[in-house]
Amino acid sequence: MKFIETLKLAAAAIWAHKLRSALTLLGMVIGVAAVVVVVSLIQGFNAYIDEKIANIGAKSYTIGRFSMDDFKDTDSIAAAQRRNKELTLEDFEFLKTRLTLTDKFAAGARPQRAQIKRGNEILQDVAIDGKQPLMGDIEKVDVADGRYFTDVENNEAARVAFIGSDVADKLFPNGDAVGGEIFINSLPYRVVGVRTAKGTVFGMPQDTFVTVPLMSYRRNFGALRNWRSVYFQGTAKDDKQFEDAVDEAKQWMRVRRGLEKGEKDNFGVFTPDSITGLRDRLFGTIFIVAIAVPAIALVIGAIVVMNIMLVSVTERTKEIGIRKALGARRADILKQFLVEAVVLTIIGGFAGVVIAWLLGIVVSMYVIQTYLSLGAIGLAILFSGGAGVAAGIFPAWKAARLDPIEALRAD
Amino acid sequence: MESPTTVEPQALEHGDLLAHDAVPAALISMRDIWRTYEMGAEQLHALRGVSFDVQRGEYLAIIGPSGSGKSTLMNLIGCLDTPSQGRYWINSKLVSEMDDDELARIRNQEIGFVFQTFNLLARATALHNVELPLIYAGISSAERHERAERALRNVELGDRMTHRPNELSGGQRQRVAIARALVNNPSILLADEPTGALDTKTSYEIMELFERLHEAGNTIIVVTHEHDIAARAHRIIHIRDGQIERDERVEK
Ligand SMILES: Nc1ncnc2c1ncn2[C@@H]1O[C@H](COP(=O)(O)OP(=O)(O)O)[C@@H](O)[C@H]1O
Ligand SMILES: [Mg+2]
Repeated sequence: MKFIETLKLAAAAIWAHKLRSALTLLGMVIGVAAVVVVVSLIQGFNAYIDEKIANIGAKSYTIGRFSMDDFKDTDSIAAAQRRNKELTLEDFEFLKTRLTLTDKFAAGARPQRAQIKRGNEILQDVAIDGKQPLMGDIEKVDVADGRYFTDVENNEAARVAFIGSDVADKLFPNGDAVGGEIFINSLPYRVVGVRTAKGTVFGMPQDTFVTVPLMSYRRNFGALRNWRSVYFQGTAKDDKQFEDAVDEAKQWMRVRRGLEKGEKDNFGVFTPDSITGLRDRLFGTIFIVAIAVPAIALVIGAIVVMNIMLVSVTERTKEIGIRKALGARRADILKQFLVEAVVLTIIGGFAGVVIAWLLGIVVSMYVIQTYLSLGAIGLAILFSGGAGVAAGIFPAWKAARLDPIEALRAD
Repeated sequence: MESPTTVEPQALEHGDLLAHDAVPAALISMRDIWRTYEMGAEQLHALRGVSFDVQRGEYLAIIGPSGSGKSTLMNLIGCLDTPSQGRYWINSKLVSEMDDDELARIRNQEIGFVFQTFNLLARATALHNVELPLIYAGISSAERHERAERALRNVELGDRMTHRPNELSGGQRQRVAIARALVNNPSILLADEPTGALDTKTSYEIMELFERLHEAGNTIIVVTHEHDIAARAHRIIHIRDGQIERDERVEK
């Protein structure tokens, strides 16, 4: 018997019991929809982190005082605070002259909070940090207006500032920030550029900041220690050798610190991967649970389908007898019922995906951007089909091994 | 011309041919066939040692009172059921040695079965019902349509192709079933009380159809408990209590 005939048969059988098929599939549809919604939420969340926190596109690494592992618990934080010395600009020079695989390499210092003033306008608690000009390139800073500062300005410790769009909007409501003057801790700075607005990440505003040249930061705010600690950022000459570039930097840093082989790093290296890795470690279990719970609905849905298929086989015993009497082989009958179950559940899968897609649109509008990837859709359909096979195989097998004469006697 | 191992096509006494392992040349050969139903502790012998041959082109009636084992025998001939004991050859092939797929092929290609209660698929049209054996024979849909249409026209149902069984009269349903039985050009047409559910006039129409089919070269076995139906055949096997009582030729 040709497969197309089996398919037609399945479609006809499902169509003949439209309402029952629909009710049978309710559990499957809800299960698939729930799983797909959760998956697209997770994918949206991951994309959010990739884009806004890990800065995946920038493909840069950061060397800092602490590593991600140091933040495991309070003990490890305390231990790292004892072990890990602060980075220095001497460390930076040491690395810079030795790194062969790194392209751009720049130092920056962590921000501190300060008051910013222009005329009568005062902004409290603005994050101010210092960076070498190259950092603008490494971070692929998006300049909305004006420019980033220059090496000359850094070397001279010039009082120039690159500011976030919030700061610009509040202090320069007329939009004439570039070239204007602002006061930080009572010292005047000239605004050279404004960054394109980034909005918020997890509700935290990203556009309330002022960046000044690293040397100006050191001169006007104090030694680059404690909260103003130094960190380095680099990019690889060749993105394909990014891992190698990171490794090289790490090895030279170990040399610099005089670490023995096998000794633990007493500094931290962050890459986009290590951040997504942290994300997966922090949220992985939550994700698994979040997918597993609606998946239970899917399992229950499949059991319902199996139940209805068993009823269907019993109801159609006579039909099976007639088909066998006319020359249907066991395989034909098996296929007939199996394909019917699979077609049924795949229809359920599609319905579930469509519902999930509609829900995703609503969630994206009001909560967080969700991503319904083709992969997730494919997987949902595949799983539905799989559920159909699991639900259909036993009823189909029961149907296939019916004795023709016994089956014909049924009514 | 006959080789010494072949067997005469005639009524066979019990044990006649059990002595040697000859493979009969007849279309159908049954040797000492028993069919026993286990009913709890009791055993019911529906057939007790039936032996006979049917040659190609014969028109045979099996007659006997109700409960004598006619349907049981018919189901065995049609490979729908398996004997409890005895040997059965179809086209010189031993049925007991066939696997499930081969039995399905025999039912599909060699046998056309007409049931007393028609056994049509209620939801399918007449045309689709007739197409069924061709679907399982793996025949393409175009050829299937054509052959099923021709088979329906042969039983004068050319204008009822798209009707469902509940839109047809009893006689029409039985003719659909006959068209279905014949559509795959089987070696044998088996009919178990084909007129049992029909009125006299319709019965005669069906029997005339059988005569035409026989004249066209088909091998036919009809089960009945009515003598006037049996009398139309060229050979009558009388069965009683699961045994062949008499095997007679009808002179025409
Ligand atoms: N499935 C069955 N289980 C038990 N007994 C059966 C079954 N089918 C038939 N019989 C018995 O076998 C005997 C022959 O039945 P059957 O072949 O149907 O007779 P007929 O067709 O000649 O009326 C009867 O006694 C009947 O009750
Ligand atoms: Mg009967």
